[in-house]
Amino acid sequence: MELNISLSPEILFQIGNFPITNTLLWSFVLSSFLILVFVIPASRLKLVPGKFQSFIEMLIEGAYDFVESIIGPGVKARRVFPLVFTMFIFALVANLAVYIPGQAAVTINRGGEAISVFRAVMSDYGMVLIMTLISVIVTQIVAIISAGPWKYLGKFINFRNPLKFFLGVMELIGETAKIVSLSFRLFGNIFAGEVLGAVVLFLAPFFVPLPFLFLGLLTAVVQAFVFAVLTLVFISMASEIETVEE
Amino acid sequence: MELLEALGINLKILFAQLVNFAVLLFVLWRFAYRPILNILKERREKVSQGVQDSKAAEIKLNEAKDKEKAVIIEAKKEAQNIIDEAKERAEKKKQAILDKAKEEVGQVINAEKKKIQQEKADTLKSIKADISGLVVLAVERVMKEKADSTTDKKIIKEAIKDLK
Repeated sequence: MELNISLSPEILFQIGNFPITNTLLWSFVLSSFLILVFVIPASRLKLVPGKFQSFIEMLIEGAYDFVESIIGPGVKARRVFPLVFTMFIFALVANLAVYIPGQAAVTINRGGEAISVFRAVMSDYGMVLIMTLISVIVTQIVAIISAGPWKYLGKFINFRNPLKFFLGVMELIGETAKIVSLSFRLFGNIFAGEVLGAVVLFLAPFFVPLPFLFLGLLTAVVQAFVFAVLTLVFISMASEIETVEE
Repeated sequence: MELLEALGINLKILFAQLVNFAVLLFVLWRFAYRPILNILKERREKVSQGVQDSKAAEIKLNEAKDKEKAVIIEAKKEAQNIIDEAKERAEKKKQAILDKAKEEVGQVINAEKKKIQQEKADTLKSIKADISGLVVLAVERVMKEKADSTTDKKIIKEAIKDLK
């Protein structure tokens, strides 16, 4: 038995010349799952809710209250909630799907090589990068809208005095670093969890992996939460630039 | 770029993932978050409305109770008034009847008294007339038989006898 760990997701098959990787496939599957879980009860809402509707409502109301507590109530919370909550719920489900029993055993043979059909979605850097880019770009858009384009630019490029110029450069680096820190935090945690799980399972298949599994479970929830909350905090900070500076 | 390759970043897949996430976001937002948040809002409003209504109903109930009490007190007072009035009136009537009866009795007594007086007066008159007649008769007799005193005596005796 050999242990092969690949940093990049494996390509399962190709449609035309479009490669379908295992993480992409799973991101489709999980998206469909989420849509089913949320849209079906939402399409038959009742004023007196059933059990499942209550559960969904509780989840969404709790998340909404949390978003409101950070960004402040009103239109801001209503605008930012869908993005942040979708990021959270998608990352959470993607991370927890690792714990579906038996999924690691499903493989397909491609070119004499066994490729596992399942791979934690967030251990594909591409997926995390897309979510991070959305988060950072939305943050910049919010900053431009709330501060105005000239003031926004002035934050980064300022020739009035050397100190302000230096601070502007630092700000620019900080914004860029957000992309890296936000994406690699989630990717690194989940990928490391995958690798650690595989290694421990390879070394001692019974009982020993259990503590690592629990640790992984904690990481799965915490990292999804952290990613969404950081996005929320960045957007919240960007939307308050004006009030902070004046 | 080697790093990107090692991480397995492929523009096509990246785009597919972007579309996937965008679709997920849109569908969840349009068909799940919005209706659920709306119904939550609606329910919150309904509940607060219900609480308000129940409070209003309670206040109204209390008002009604107070009113009821006031009405009962009023009614009792009025009933008492009516009874008092009736009593007073009865008393007055009784007094009036009694007074009338007394008066009537007095009248009857007076009438009887008058009658008796009248009768007495009449009797006295007739007695006087009789006596005067007798006296005249006696005097005549005395005048006739003046001669002896025995006759005199006799006459007197007879007169008295007659008188008797």
